[in-house]
Amino acid sequence: MPEQLIWTPLQLGPVTVRNRIVFSAHLTNYAVDGLPSEQHVAYYAARAAGGAGLIITEEHSTHPTDWPYEKLIHGFHPEVVPGYRRITEAVHRHRVPIFAQINHNGGQASSMYSRLPVWAPSPVADPLFREVPKAVDAAEIAEIVASYGLVARHSAEGGFDGVELQCSHSSIVRGFLSPATNKRTDDYGGPLANRARILIEIVDEVRRAIGPDLALGVRLCGDELIEGGTTIDEAVEVARMVEATGKVDYINTSIGVATASLFMIEASMHIPPGYSMFIPSAIREAVDLPVVGVGRFKDPLQAERALAEGQCDLVGVVRGQIADPDFVAKARAGFTDDTRLCLSCNQECVGRMGLNRWLGCIENPAAGRESEGVGQPRPVAVGRRVLVIGAGPAGLQAALAAARNGHHVTVVERSGAAGGQVRLAATVPNRAEFGDLIRNQLHECGRLGVEFEFGVDVDADEVERRRPDTVVVATGSVPDRPWWAPADAAWIVDVRDVLDGTAQPTGSVLVLDELGFHHATSVAELLADRGCTVEVVSPGMVVGQDLGITLDLENWWIRAESKGIAQSTELVPMGVEGRVLNVQHHPTGAMETREPDWVVLAVPSTPADALFHELRGRGLDVARVGDALAPRRAHAAVIDGERVGAAIPTAQLAPQLASR
Amino acid sequence: MWSVPSLFDPIELGPRTARNRVVFGPHETNLGRGRSISERHVAYYRRRAAGGAGVVVTEEASVHESDWPYEHAPLGVECGDGWQAVAAACHAEGALVLAALGHAGGQGTSHWSQRELWAPSRVPEVNTREVPKWMEADDIAAVVAGFGAAAEVAVASGCDGVEVNAGQFSLVRQFLSGLTNQRDDEWGGDRTRFAREVLAAVRAALGPDRVLGLRLSCDELAPWAGITPEAAAELAAELCADADLRIDVLTVVRGSIYSVGATRPDGHTPAGFNLDLARTVRDAVNAATDGRVPVVAQGSIVDVDQAEWAVADGVADAVEMTRAQLADADLVAKAVGERRREIRPCVLCNQQCMVRDNRNPIVSCVVDPSTGHETTELERIGVTGTPVDVLVVGGGPAGLEAARVASTRGHRVRLWEQSHRLGGRLGTVSLQPGRERFALFADWLRSECERLGVEIETGRDVTVDEIARSPSGGDVAADGTCIVVATGGRPGVLDATVDAGARVVSAAEALEVGAAGLPEGAVLVWDPIGGPTGVAVAELLVAGGREVHLATQDFIVGNELARAGDLAPANARLAQAGVSMHRRSILRSVAPSHAVLEDRFTGTRSSLDVSAVVDAGHRLPDDELWDALRAAGVPSVVRAGDDVAPRTVMEAVLEGRRAAVDLG
Repeated sequence: MPEQLIWTPLQLGPVTVRNRIVFSAHLTNYAVDGLPSEQHVAYYAARAAGGAGLIITEEHSTHPTDWPYEKLIHGFHPEVVPGYRRITEAVHRHRVPIFAQINHNGGQASSMYSRLPVWAPSPVADPLFREVPKAVDAAEIAEIVASYGLVARHSAEGGFDGVELQCSHSSIVRGFLSPATNKRTDDYGGPLANRARILIEIVDEVRRAIGPDLALGVRLCGDELIEGGTTIDEAVEVARMVEATGKVDYINTSIGVATASLFMIEASMHIPPGYSMFIPSAIREAVDLPVVGVGRFKDPLQAERALAEGQCDLVGVVRGQIADPDFVAKARAGFTDDTRLCLSCNQECVGRMGLNRWLGCIENPAAGRESEGVGQPRPVAVGRRVLVIGAGPAGLQAALAAARNGHHVTVVERSGAAGGQVRLAATVPNRAEFGDLIRNQLHECGRLGVEFEFGVDVDADEVERRRPDTVVVATGSVPDRPWWAPADAAWIVDVRDVLDGTAQPTGSVLVLDELGFHHATSVAELLADRGCTVEVVSPGMVVGQDLGITLDLENWWIRAESKGIAQSTELVPMGVEGRVLNVQHHPTGAMETREPDWVVLAVPSTPADALFHELRGRGLDVARVGDALAPRRAHAAVIDGERVGAAIPTAQLAPQLASR
Repeated sequence: MWSVPSLFDPIELGPRTARNRVVFGPHETNLGRGRSISERHVAYYRRRAAGGAGVVVTEEASVHESDWPYEHAPLGVECGDGWQAVAAACHAEGALVLAALGHAGGQGTSHWSQRELWAPSRVPEVNTREVPKWMEADDIAAVVAGFGAAAEVAVASGCDGVEVNAGQFSLVRQFLSGLTNQRDDEWGGDRTRFAREVLAAVRAALGPDRVLGLRLSCDELAPWAGITPEAAAELAAELCADADLRIDVLTVVRGSIYSVGATRPDGHTPAGFNLDLARTVRDAVNAATDGRVPVVAQGSIVDVDQAEWAVADGVADAVEMTRAQLADADLVAKAVGERRREIRPCVLCNQQCMVRDNRNPIVSCVVDPSTGHETTELERIGVTGTPVDVLVVGGGPAGLEAARVASTRGHRVRLWEQSHRLGGRLGTVSLQPGRERFALFADWLRSECERLGVEIETGRDVTVDEIARSPSGGDVAADGTCIVVATGGRPGVLDATVDAGARVVSAAEALEVGAAGLPEGAVLVWDPIGGPTGVAVAELLVAGGREVHLATQDFIVGNELARAGDLAPANARLAQAGVSMHRRSILRSVAPSHAVLEDRFTGTRSSLDVSAVVDAGHRLPDDELWDALRAAGVPSVVRAGDDVAPRTVMEAVLEGRRAAVDLG
């Protein structure tokens, strides 16, 4: 294989990057009191250790009027510098350059935290924050420009190798660039040259602040995906203007507006990889500066292809390196199979951001907890014989966490394959990537020498016969039958029955969504694709309400409407008479009826914990994880498995051995 | 002679005596540092104690690590220092301090603890649908022990006692209720067993000379399985009569896992909604304990008159007035000092004080934005050393607050209001169903300005020339007068095609004229904000007999109402009133007889036959005067409120206050 572009060093002004993979900027909610934290330090250091070519930190705010979310780094406070130094020193130890992204979010904010008016080019309320901003005057524009210079100086003092101006998806600069939010009639509004004026002023100011030894990048939005917003032609024009300043070393790209079209910025698995590469491609054709492309890059091969095809000079891989900090190192060493591939599920990374929680990862429990040592091997003196019962995500994580520390782990699984409910969930075509969770866990288990027995249904006697030192019960959960569903009504089935093929509904199907996540919507799509007439009914205000958290709700609606799936909300099943299902519209009390051929239930399940209780009753050292403890989503199974597996202590030497 | 107790008489809470019967109840603040009580907490509680509160109950602390219901939820074992500081501060001001203890059980979240939730039975949390773990005997023992341990910390910290939460967000209530306790073991056969175990553990930790309070949901509003008032009265009487537990005070609240919003609702629920319930429970408790255990009433009691009546009439022995003391920390001092008219009224909006929200907003108050920010300079308004002449232009909340505070600080203040009515947006807001109390705030601002000697002129048009003429002209700006521009906002521009002859009115206009003022026929309310206004306009018009459509681009109507607790109630009211709701829709055009909506996802357009469209969208600043004054180079001019950027009443009040303080 010829030397790959991905491993070819590249010069970004004064800075050399040794490979083309960028850990580009993203929020983490790790800041404490506006300052960088140890959580940041360990998080970035892990990705540097894993070989990233370049790290660009989350944004550092330039001004007190900018405080859109609680855990924002207030880069304008001089107190940030010591924290910057801790981050940059930790990253530099791995000979990886690190840039600070600096930004003012402009109107894409509220006054909740700042208790100051929000600043923007014009009094156009943001679609998410819905607060009318104050239109900045000339003096305030000058203040903003100067504030970028201040934070750039802090960044330089803090040891960063460069700064990036986020002018793309949530920024006052974007606000000025975009005709949708800039309604000014002065020198900063109207023609593109006017709308770009603040950007050029900031570039001048920042270059003056950092001098020639630091790199300067500008991140631009190629298509805002909003009515009347910036599209690619103007973005290319702006890139040319940026290049013409002669003060910028690279251009980064993005798509969408964070407060309007976030689902296209942090695209979930329903959007094809590389979906936004038209942006760096177009910009790269227009400018000579190196251009960064982003957008659901999951593996090194895909990145190499984008580079080889000339779409970009550098590739941003964020979620891929959240899921696996060693993404680059593994690829460089040729162990691509070892990569813990990102699922693009958005559950614990993007999903936690919107909820003001620290950034994590569904399949990497160490993400965000590097500073606590989560996921690090802590070898035991003498390994135990650990028996894990159940090869769903909880059991597999317990197995690999235990094996990591040197225990001897066997996993027994009743069915013929690993994965539990995740395997079923991934059978739905557009959720297939979710199955990588199991692939990754199995691969890691294999690397660590975990033994597997499939098709083995153990009972308590069998467990005792095997004489394990420790048992981890990960037997999952069983579907619950709601009180109103007659036991003998074969036309009322669980989601799992449909996904595993036990039930094959045809005709009209009512899917009941009491879980508010992918269960109901997935099966609804599957059945609609098979030709069923589908209605999803929810007692909540929205079907699949938590799809909003993972940025799947918009696309679900688009697909549902194109597939003719009906959605009815605020309805509660009240009973079955013959083949008639009675439902009540709970806000009004009005009764309605449905007569579908099939009802598919997405309802809470019951832990399969009988074996656990029996083993505990017999005095075995036993723990339970995942749904067997409490039926929850996959991330909880992984967290349980990691905690329990990693906590298994060293084996006690038998007394006669110990006494020798 | 038999005497009627007064709200301001002392009261015995078992071994301790409170100086009066006004309680500052437990509530989330997000003032915590990590999971401990912070200096901001101390200042916050001290301020209420200094204002005269009889009893301060601190923010509930979790008693066990299995409970981490929100990021800054205090954890008992980490609260020792904080409780000590709060107790010392409040004792110095004469108030008793009870530490609220609890466990949210299945109403918590796993997102901070990264652990499963614990609950009596596997009833999913209503919003997150998270299924908890069914607590086993050792889990129960651990939580019971946690209650005892936390109570020990509270005692060691010098608190006068604790209040055990069996009200909202409570594991204890979840055990008591058939909605959430479906166990068939000893904790299900006797659903009071867990509560008794908890109370016994806490009493043992407290010893005899500390107060044991119980906060009890006495109506879960779910008679099919929940706690009913009748059952609650019986249960309360039984628990309070138990000599071993020796409960010293009982606070009556309501609400269940399915009615979280009913515990502390906004103004759509009448003030004092729990008073009948309190009376029922108190009668039973009184009978069982011979009056030994006082009963505290809770539930939107925000007016001193109502509180006084409740105590005098035997509804309750004491009254929780929490939000009222967020609106005016000096409520008791003013009431006792014959300054009742000076009490700043709570408007029951819940907009700033409901903070159980992922964003961790700091507790504050629309009418007193200094609330929750006691450690910052705003609280120290003080008196100026350099009085100046001040002209405030605009008599809305920003202008009135600026005038009030400037006058308090000793400046000589005039206020000019263009219209014939003071209050600005407060007037239109108060026309919204459920938000009538905003008028009380307008009245209070006016009355305070009058009391402080602000010279108010209404119907006073202001021209730029009048203010900005050259210094020789003898105008107001030239004689050194400071100008505060608070001219408010104006209607925004509808982002849709409007045909000639089509009727589009602003939300404010619709509220002013009502259904009778709009052309006959159906009305479409276009609400791109999702706040209280669009919903209120729809409610007002449908109550006026109109066929009403309400359209939003959101998935949910009233999308932004969740924080104040009115999301589900608003949707229910609209549905019950027959308002047609159009979600995921964008208003594209308005014609005289119809309007066109577009589906956000399919692009499908549909036409509604309506004779008018109400635009409940964003407004624009009315900044003409400001711009003109600046252009004329007038010195000493500041602005506040909607003419900076149209926002809510809170921002107007805050900026009005800041403008006044900035005068020097």
